[in-house]
This record gives sequence, structure tokens and C-alpha cells, in this order.
Amino acid sequence: MTAAAAQDGAGAVGPILRTRGLTKRFPGVLALDGVDFDLSPGEVHALVGENGAGKSTLIKVLTGVHAPDSGEVRYRGAPVRFETPLRAQQAGISTIYQEVNLIPLLSVARNLFLGREPRRLGLIDFGRMHRDAARILHDYGVEVDVTRPLDRLSMGARQMVALARAVVADARVVIMDEPTSSLEPREVETLFSVIGGLRERGITVVYVSHRLDELYRICDRVTVLRDGRVVHTGAMAGLERLRLISLMLGREMAQVERQGATTFGGAHEQRAAEPVLVAEGLDAHRRLHGVSLAIHPGEVLGLGGLLGSGRTETARAIAGALPLRSGRVAVAGVPLRRRSAAAAIRAGISMLPEDRKGEGIVPELSVRENIALAAMPRLARFGLVSERRIDRVVEVFVERLRIKCAGTRQKVAELSGGNQQKVLLARWLALNPKVLLLDEPTRGIDVGAKAEVQRLVDELAAEGLGVMLISSDLEELIEGADRVVVLKDGAVVGELSGGEVSEGALMQAIARAGRAGAGGDAGADREVEP
Amino acid sequence: MATVPFDRAGRSPRRTATVFTALACTALTLLATSCARGEDEAGGGQTAGGGQARAQELDDAAGSDQTCNIEQFGMEKFDLKDMTVGFSQSEAESNPFRITETASIKSEAEKRGVELITANAQSDFAQQISDVQGLMSQGAELLIVAPLNSDGWEPVLAEAERKQIPIVTIDREINGNPCEDYVTFIGSDFVEQGRRAADRMIEALGGEGEVAILLGTAGNNVTTERTEGFKERIEEKAPGIEVVFEQTGEFTREGGQSVTEQLIQSNPEIDGVYAENDEMGIGAVTALRGAGKQPGDVKIVTVDGTEAAVQGIIDGWIYAVIESNPRFGPLAFDAHESFGKGEDVPVELIISDREYTRDNAEEELSNAY
Amino acid sequence: MTAVDVPAVCGDRERVIGWLQEYGVYVGVAALLVFNIAFTPHFLSVENFRTQAVQVTPVLILSLGMALVIATGGIDLSVGSVMALAAAMISLYLGYGPVAAILVALVAGAAAGAVNGALVAFAGVQAIVATLAMMIGGRGLSLVLLPQLDGIRNAGIRELGAGDLLGVPYLVWVSAALIAVVAFVVRRTVFGRRLVAIGGNRRASELSGLPVRRTLLAVYMLCGLFAAVAGVLATARLQASDPNSIGQLIELSAITAVVVGGTPLQGGRMRVAGTVAGAVLMQLLVSTLIKHDLPPSWTQIAQTAVIIAAVYVARERGRR
Repeated sequence: MTAAAAQDGAGAVGPILRTRGLTKRFPGVLALDGVDFDLSPGEVHALVGENGAGKSTLIKVLTGVHAPDSGEVRYRGAPVRFETPLRAQQAGISTIYQEVNLIPLLSVARNLFLGREPRRLGLIDFGRMHRDAARILHDYGVEVDVTRPLDRLSMGARQMVALARAVVADARVVIMDEPTSSLEPREVETLFSVIGGLRERGITVVYVSHRLDELYRICDRVTVLRDGRVVHTGAMAGLERLRLISLMLGREMAQVERQGATTFGGAHEQRAAEPVLVAEGLDAHRRLHGVSLAIHPGEVLGLGGLLGSGRTETARAIAGALPLRSGRVAVAGVPLRRRSAAAAIRAGISMLPEDRKGEGIVPELSVRENIALAAMPRLARFGLVSERRIDRVVEVFVERLRIKCAGTRQKVAELSGGNQQKVLLARWLALNPKVLLLDEPTRGIDVGAKAEVQRLVDELAAEGLGVMLISSDLEELIEGADRVVVLKDGAVVGELSGGEVSEGALMQAIARAGRAGAGGDAGADREVEP
Repeated sequence: MATVPFDRAGRSPRRTATVFTALACTALTLLATSCARGEDEAGGGQTAGGGQARAQELDDAAGSDQTCNIEQFGMEKFDLKDMTVGFSQSEAESNPFRITETASIKSEAEKRGVELITANAQSDFAQQISDVQGLMSQGAELLIVAPLNSDGWEPVLAEAERKQIPIVTIDREINGNPCEDYVTFIGSDFVEQGRRAADRMIEALGGEGEVAILLGTAGNNVTTERTEGFKERIEEKAPGIEVVFEQTGEFTREGGQSVTEQLIQSNPEIDGVYAENDEMGIGAVTALRGAGKQPGDVKIVTVDGTEAAVQGIIDGWIYAVIESNPRFGPLAFDAHESFGKGEDVPVELIISDREYTRDNAEEELSNAY
Repeated sequence: MTAVDVPAVCGDRERVIGWLQEYGVYVGVAALLVFNIAFTPHFLSVENFRTQAVQVTPVLILSLGMALVIATGGIDLSVGSVMALAAAMISLYLGYGPVAAILVALVAGAAAGAVNGALVAFAGVQAIVATLAMMIGGRGLSLVLLPQLDGIRNAGIRELGAGDLLGVPYLVWVSAALIAVVAFVVRRTVFGRRLVAIGGNRRASELSGLPVRRTLLAVYMLCGLFAAVAGVLATARLQASDPNSIGQLIELSAITAVVVGGTPLQGGRMRVAGTVAGAVLMQLLVSTLIKHDLPPSWTQIAQTAVIIAAVYVARERGRR
């Protein structure tokens, strides 16, 4: 179905959901400022804006997490006010959050049918539930044992379960918040076809993403939010990419054009021949099989590969956060004797973990406490904290990374995702590391913050740091990395350097390594023995 | 470049845990056992009374006229000497009453050469039920039970009836039919103890004044009955005495102390304190002493008859102690013996409790427990 | 910015709840003080405040240790039993003099805490399970050591329990000193910052190179030590070692004081002043009900009401 067709349908039936003058105020912030927002049945509607623009708040008001201060929400023609997310769900508005909100220890099937279990004689009919679950998930391209606990599934598969669950629950409106951020390209394709299916069934999809390519591929219409206001609503097709970016950023188009899509500069010179980090034969039970690599000062080394290829595991192994069967790590020629995060940090290795919420921020603590967390021993004397020293370091990084907060004593949980990520970067940079391992540093953060993080990576490399970059955003990986080591199934299967680093070459390197991989013409000469 | 493998042995967290736990446990055990030296090692602490101190005497006036004999009960005569007796204690032997009670049963069994098996339910009623069932399966042919609760004994009573095991309950009753479910109950009359405490209080205050009650644990029949008797007698005999304060001290010394401290802040004019057991009374003494009162400023009457409380009379802090004698051994075995011979045994045996006052405290101190 | 016209109440309500979470416990203390000054005879006397301060001491000291443990996301159910253990040690070792006996009691408390800490930090046993085991085992051990109450006649211990310095009871001096120590540790030391971070996000703390296990071990040892101090002081005040009834159910009072004081049970936050106020609030509440001679069941109901209010306020905040 095309965008035009969807809009025709909208014209005939009228909007399924409509807000007028929606306003929501938090202490010190006007999060939504008179928002008018319409959704037509069967359209895929992009909701975009930088972090802090009000996207999350709008979603939360629509789904009953927050009550609006003023304004009206009409759903299927009648004014509504959902008191709880459950009420919204029952009415047919389902949300698939960035951090998937399912129950990790329950089985896949239970999660899928939670609250709607098929029953027989008042008891759950497990046989039927498992059969139905397997059939439904099959349609979503997920082939798993539905009796296993959900947390054994990959993030991508979990997302599909969440989506399937929304459809099982008879949703009329499905809100997806950054659905592809944890998906592999193959899974993204499945997701898009599922979204197509939803559209045909007349289900409305609100699609929140920072990935412009995806928006143009699947969305019919777009609403741009900035500072709590709607700055643009219209068809996706007619909107120029640069115009969209400038609407989101509130910057002039010319400026955006000059800066390009990512903010990485050119390749870095490798100033020293001696690598700053050498990892040899990293071997972790069933996850890594003899991964070896080296990072030189001033170099950005990309780790390529699909989800589950061992990129994250490699980073964690180097950072002392993954138990190894064997392997050696040396920093600037000095081998690490003990295998622990603390030892790696002392040696000069900093790792920005992938899971910002689970392994990064300490939500109850302030911005400054979060920045100073790892460096605390260095900022203290005789075990006593020196507030003055902490302030000095924190000020430097808040300024350098342009962390936007109401003051360094603000709770980090109150910051936007992008700013939280910057706080974490500051935590690691405050250690003055020799090697910086970045695992998905720009996932789920807004365009502006993303650009800043990318620029920072460049700067750090230019200052002589050895940087390792893991990103499922191909563009980011290609433009950011000077050299890319390609992983598959926990082993190094190729390496691209210099002019070879391109999207096509990377895809081919990944594809060729697979046994069933389609052979491409891109040269076998690029492959390097691990 | 020379790299060295990681120190794989490292420090395994589990091993560290084991080592640490072992070390700390060793330290605790050492502290507990090695070279302890108490305050007065010579005395070896209090020797809680056994059978050598004064045994219980029956109050002939009280109790029931109904009797029970072995024919009515429907079993063969027996000789106590050949029987195995099971004793189930309700609470931990950590307060003087329970210590003395158990010791009395044990020493009486020894004296008569009767085989005794015992169990302690540690204040857990479910535990007591399974304790008694356990005693029966271990071969107890006669039972002495100090019940924690009065109700809920049906499973035990049914089993005892089937196996023809006579039960004597002590210090608290079991709700059931005498001579059918059990043979006899031996105990004190708690209401009467309350009345007698009131008599002493009236005497101490000359019939005029304000009195506070330190209640026992809420919901316990000892608490209700000792309170009932006390109030009833005060109302009846001394309208000039007013009970102005009733708070629980949970039968503990600490509770008695804390509540009394609060009491003397808000009611500095209080004339008397009735503590429903000795421990709370002693706590009250500590509180009064801490507040700078002199012995005798506030009249204290307590119930139980422990050594520490009787000593309190000698020191002048406590006015009187109503005895609640825990030495059930002789009477309980007597009851089983005469029952076995086919004699008539009253189904309720009420002990005549004594009392300690300034007049007899010194000579009777050795009889306290 | 447009004016917010319709339900301004909503935002206000959130603000009120946030404020209550922060300051509610102080409001409670103030309200009880005002009530008592108005309606309780002889409330405004030095003697009365002295009594309240002395009575609150054991719970207060326990709740300081408990707050440290709770801030790490754990819990310690064994504090009452550790008090009993300390009481037993006092009685067993008094023959060597009061100082030696107190030292032994404190060592025993720290050792019990070390067992808890090792199980939680290194063996990965859940705090509630590990400390429950110690709660039962510790009480059992102390009853084996000292089966019944043992009166203490030692002048030194009795002086500690009843005496004063410059008109302030020794007990109050000790608790004031411990409050100062804990406040200092939490605000100024790396250790204090770490334990809060561990409670806030243990994985993040591990990845940031914090010595998570060592810190947890130390926290449980401190809590055990504090429990032993409370046990020593309670024994000195009672002038008797009573391992059977000392500290029975006191862990619940300590946890209540911590929660009412605004430290969330899931950890990641630690409020020293709030914890002190929480303990004082519960003490004043009980004392008010006793002084007005209300039935003991009322005390339990009132305590429950305060806990529910505290949890409700915390929950509302968590939802925001």
C-alpha cells in the first residue's frame, strides 16, 4: 500500500487518534507545548525529533503513563484519558519500548500471551499456547523454542516477540520506539515486512527512529517535534532529507549540508608503529575462538560483523569483563596479569558498554558522581573524597562533551539518552585511558548527540588514543573506522584497511565468510588470516 | 612483544567465600568456647532449681470435685516404674520458670527411676504437636504435656486415645473432656494470683493511690487472667485505688524497663506498679533506680517467685512477690502413679501458691527459683 | 510557554510527594513533638528527652548499619541475633574486665557480619537468605552460650548503661559519635560513595573497576559491628545479658526506620539524617501511645500506618 492510499483511507475514516493542544509540564521543563497530532488508520507515521524534543513524553501521554496537564486526546472519535498503560493497551494502543518490556524469566509463549492465555477448564492450555506461539512467531521470522525463557533470546528476537504480542492483543495503534536499534540487518528486513503486514490490516504504526533511511523506506507521513512543539507534519515522500534534518535540529540547511551525514573526519595517521593494545588468542567458552587484534595509537579500529558475531564479547574480554579460557592482553607492551575490570582500568583500558541503562549509568546518582565513579580513587587522598578535584574534572568534561544538564548535581536518570551517553564517555575519559573501547556509542541517542559523539571519537584518536568502535550502524562504522576487523561466530574472518573500508566491501567480507554466503566479486585478497 | 597469560587461578569468588566464612566461623566458635570467663566463675552462674527446693502443694479448696480413675478411662492398671514417660515442654528453657519446670520433671523421673524422654517446641505450636506425636512413636506410654496453646490438640488426643496413653497436662489446660481426652490438669489459678497481687497492693498503698499494670504478652491467657483477678479485687475492695496505666512489657525485663521509664516521665506521681511477671518487675526496678527513685517510693508487686525478685524484696525495691510454682515434677508423677494404681484422681489439681513478703523473704530466698 | 490552566493539581501533587519523600519524616517528628508538647503532661522536661534518647539508642545504631546495607541493595535480618551474640559474649567474658568483654563482643559482631558479607559478596547468596540463616543460627548460638538471663553486677558496664558525661548519658554519646562516623563515611570517603554506587547499579560498578565484593564484605561487617555495639549498650542499660529476648524483632524496627527515613529498599541512595529521624519518629510514636496509655495493639497499627505512608510516598516517586 502506498502513502497516498493510506491517506485516502484516512480521509474516508477520519483519524483513529487525534490530540489537540496537548501540554505537559515537568518541574523546570515544558515537555509538550500545545501538540496537535493526528494518526490515520493503516498508516506508518514517523515521529522524529532530537532527544528532549518531547517524543517520549508524547508517547507516554498517549499510552497513559503520564496525564496531560491540558489538552485533549480523542481515540476512535471519542475523548479519552487513559489512567494506566494497561488501560491504553486494553483499548488497543500498544507500545514496544526501546528497552523491551517483557518478563525475562517467563517462557516466550507465556510472554506472547500474557494476560490472554488460551484456557481450558480455567487452567492455561499450555499445549495450545505453545503451538499458537510457534505458529505466530514463525510468521515473524522467529524460529525458537517457545517454551524457553525469554531472556535466552537475542534482543532482536525479543523485539519480535514484543511486536507479535501487540498484534495478538488486538492493537489498533502500535508505537515502536527505536525498534531497529538492536536488530541485525536481516531482522530489520523481517520487521519491515511485518510492519507492511500491519499496515494492510489497517493497524496504525507510530515509528520512532533516528535512522533516516528507515523512515524514508517505510513511513507514509512524518511529524517532527522540537522543544515540545510540532514543527512539521506531512507526507514523508515529498520531504527532502536535508530539510528533515534541519527541521529536527533547527539548523540551517546549508549548515547541515556542509557537515555531512556523520561528523567523522578523514582517516587518521598512525603515528606510532608499536600498537598500544595487543590481544592474542582470546578464547571464551562458545563465544570467542582465538580472537587476536591490535590497536595502534591514534587509530580507530572498527569491529565489523553481525549481531552475535562476538564483537561485544571481544571488547568485554579485553576490558576484563568476560571470563576467558585463555588469551593474552597487553597495553603498550605491558601484559595484564590479572583478569578483572579493575586491572584493565589500571592498565589504561576503558570500555563504554553497550547496555547504557543496565551497565552504564547509576541512575540515582548525580551527573558528577557518575562521571567521577571510575576515577574516584584517583580523585581521592587516603580514601577521602576531594570535592574540589572532582569538580575540576567534571567541569572539564561537561564543557568538552557539551553535556546538557540543569547542573552537575542533577540526577543522571533525568537526562536524555544522548546526554547520559556523554556522561558515560566522560566517566571513561576521566580515567585518561590509553585505549578506549566503544560498544555502540551512538545507539538510541538523537542526531545532534550522535554527531557530537562521532566528532569526539575523531578528536580522541587525533590526540593519540587507540579507539575500538563497535557499531551496527554501517555508515558510522565505515566512516569512523580507519581499519575494520570483521568477526563471525567469535572468530576474526577478515580485515579491511585504508581505501578498502567501504560498505560494500564490509558486507561482502561478512557474507563471504559464511558457508552459505553468496560469492561476490570483491577480492579475496582483502581477507587476512586471523 | 612478551605477553603473559592471565593469572587463571586468580581469586575464585567461591573459594574466597569459603575461606572467609570458615575463618569467621572459627573466630566465632573460638570466642564462644575457648577461654570464656564469666563474672563470678566460682558460682557457675545461677543454678536453676530442681526438686530439692520446695515442691508444690495442692490447694484443697480449689480444683474440681470430679475425679477420674483408670476404669472410667478404659485401660489396664499399670505400675509407673515400668513405664516410659514422655514430656513435652512448650517454650525454650531460657526463663527461670521453664528451666525449673523441666528440671523438676527430670529430677523427679530420676528419683523414681522412671525412663523419661523429652522434647521442646521452642514456642512453636505446630512443633509441639509433632513433638508429642514423636514422643508417642518413640515409645512413651504416659505423657506429661506443658501445652503452648489450649486449642488445636485434636490430632494428638485422637492418637493418644487409640494407643491408650494417659495425658497429664501441666501449667496450662488443654481444651477437651477430662477423663476422656486427658486424665488431669495440674496448674496454678492465674486469676487467683492476680487477686492476691491486688491484696498485697491494697495493703501496700493503704487502699489509696494510682497504680500501673505491666501486662504480659498480649493474647496470652496468663496475661488475661492475672489482669482480670487483679482488677476484680481492686474494684471490689479498694475503690480508692485507680489503675491509670496498662502497657505490655512482653514478659521481658527490657520491656518492663522501657515501659516503666515512659511511665515515670508521664506519671511521676505513680504509687504502685503491678508487674505480671518477675522479669518485668525487675526491669521496672532498673528504670526506677535510673530515674533516681529510692527503694519503696513506688510499691512493686510481681508474680512468679524467682530468686532475683525475692532478692528485690530484701533490697527493699519490691513489696511482694506472688508465687507461681513451676516444680510440677512430684505432683505430675504422683498423678500418674495413683492413676495407674486405679485410684480416683481429681481431673483438676490446683496448686496452692505461696507468696513472698518482707517478713519471709530472707528465710525463703532458698525456695525461690 | 503557554499557561497551564486545567489541572495544575497534577504537577503540584507530584511535587508534594517528592517533597514528602525528602522531608516527610521530619514533618512527622515535628508533628509528634508539637502534639506531645500540647497534650502530654511533663513532656517538656530534660528527663523525658533523656529517656527517649536512651531508649532509641539501640534501634538508632542498628538502623545506621542497616541503612549502609540497604544502600547497597541488600538487607540484614541478623542484627537482632548479633545483639544477642554480643550480649552473651559480655556475660561470658566479663571475668576479664568490662573493656575486654566489650571488645570480644564487638569482634563477635564483626565476625558474624563477615560471614554474612562473604556469603553475599563472594558466594552470591541472596542477602535475605544469608542473613536469615545468621538470624536463626546467631540466636541459637547465643542461647547455647548463655541459656538464660544473667544479671550483670560489674560497675563499669552498669555505669556505661546508666551513667552520663556532662549530663548526657554515655549511650547518647555513643550514638551521636556513630551518627557522625556514618555521616562522614557516606559523605566524604571513597568507600561511602562506592557502596551507594553498588546499590545503584552493581554491573556498572563492576565494569567501572570498583572493588564490589570487598566493599560489600566491609559493609556487612560494619553492620555486624554496629549490631554488636547496640547489643553491648542494650545489655549495659538492662544490667543483664538476656540473649533470649534481646533484639527480638528489632531488625524490623531498624528496617522501618531506614525506609521511613527515605532510603529506598532497592538501594542506590543513603540518607543518614533521614535514618536518624526515622528511628526517632518511631520512638516518639511508641512513646506517645504509651504515655497516653493506649492499648498496645494501637502501637502496632500506628507503626503500620507510618510504614505504609512511607512506602506509598516512595512508590509514587518511583513512578514518576
